[in-house]
Amino acid sequence: MTKNDYLAKLMNELKKNAVADASDIVSEYEQHFAFKMADGFSEDEISAKLGDPIEVAAQFERRNDAEPFSGKKATTIVGLVFADIFVGMFFILLFVWEAIMAAFSLVSATIAVSLIGGFNIYALIPPIPYGCGVIFALSLAALAVLASTGCIYFAAFIRQLIRSYGRFHHNAIASASGNAVLPSLAIHPQLPARTNRRIRTVALFSLSIFAACFVLAMVVSMVSSGVFEFWHAWGWFGYDGPLYKGGAL
Amino acid sequence: MNTQYKKGVLELCVLALLEKRDCYGYEISEYLSNHIDIADGTVYPILRKLKNDGVVSTYLQEESGGPPRKYYSLTKLGREAYKNDRAEYLNFARAVKTLLEDDNHDKE
Repeated sequence: MTKNDYLAKLMNELKKNAVADASDIVSEYEQHFAFKMADGFSEDEISAKLGDPIEVAAQFERRNDAEPFSGKKATTIVGLVFADIFVGMFFILLFVWEAIMAAFSLVSATIAVSLIGGFNIYALIPPIPYGCGVIFALSLAALAVLASTGCIYFAAFIRQLIRSYGRFHHNAIASASGNAVLPSLAIHPQLPARTNRRIRTVALFSLSIFAACFVLAMVVSMVSSGVFEFWHAWGWFGYDGPLYKGGAL
Repeated sequence: MNTQYKKGVLELCVLALLEKRDCYGYEISEYLSNHIDIADGTVYPILRKLKNDGVVSTYLQEESGGPPRKYYSLTKLGREAYKNDRAEYLNFARAVKTLLEDDNHDKE
């Protein structure tokens, strides 16, 4: 078969099969002929090696007939819009939780610094002997580190969740319109093993420091104030304690 | 061999080629028909399918003394799909190989 015969037959078959961009496809085969002829092959040989144009044309996907899919696609999109609204609210909750954790970490760190540095912004920190304050400050600093580790991990979690949802979204539309579906994504953060290990170490370390220092601070406070409920003795929460009268211990 | 079966594997081969570098259609067709027994014409439908799936993208590049060539390159999704499919195929092939060789062994 000559080049022109082959291409004409191919074009004919593609049109018969309602394949999209038939002329684009044929031009690719035309280029194939050009390359092969430059290598010294005859038109007949090239045609034979390409395979029967009827079989070749049958391998191209038919144009997506809009009709059978349009109803399904519309339903899917409406469904997705509702899903988006609910999932969107859910994501807002996740972001709020992230913000709360960040604020918590920041506040803990600020109180720790104030206790150690001896500042008392707007007199918000109740009176406490410096020694006890420092131990409380250490536990709060550890809590700040723990909370910010949580923040980092949670941010990675939200990110992966959004990606995963995006992929689901894409796949739902793709399958409704008859296109290929991509592999779905895991929902837990895909951090490198080393980062995962580090986060775990920091979290465990700060958690134990927090627990140890907090218990120590409570015990030291009780011992130094001489009563179990030391906060009463130091006049916290609006009490006029025996050790505290009018602003000084 | 069953053509439908071959086609799935050929898709993976095309992805493997494109993972190394961008190629134009003829290059891919030549490479595959040199290594695997298929008709030259089979590669273009595969390329078109991969493009429709969003796994590869195309761009035209001017060549000295000739019409511009259509280059194929893997998209980000293509790389992801290749990674998954490759691992899946290798596992599958390994399992099949073990099974078949085991069978041979029994007959001896």
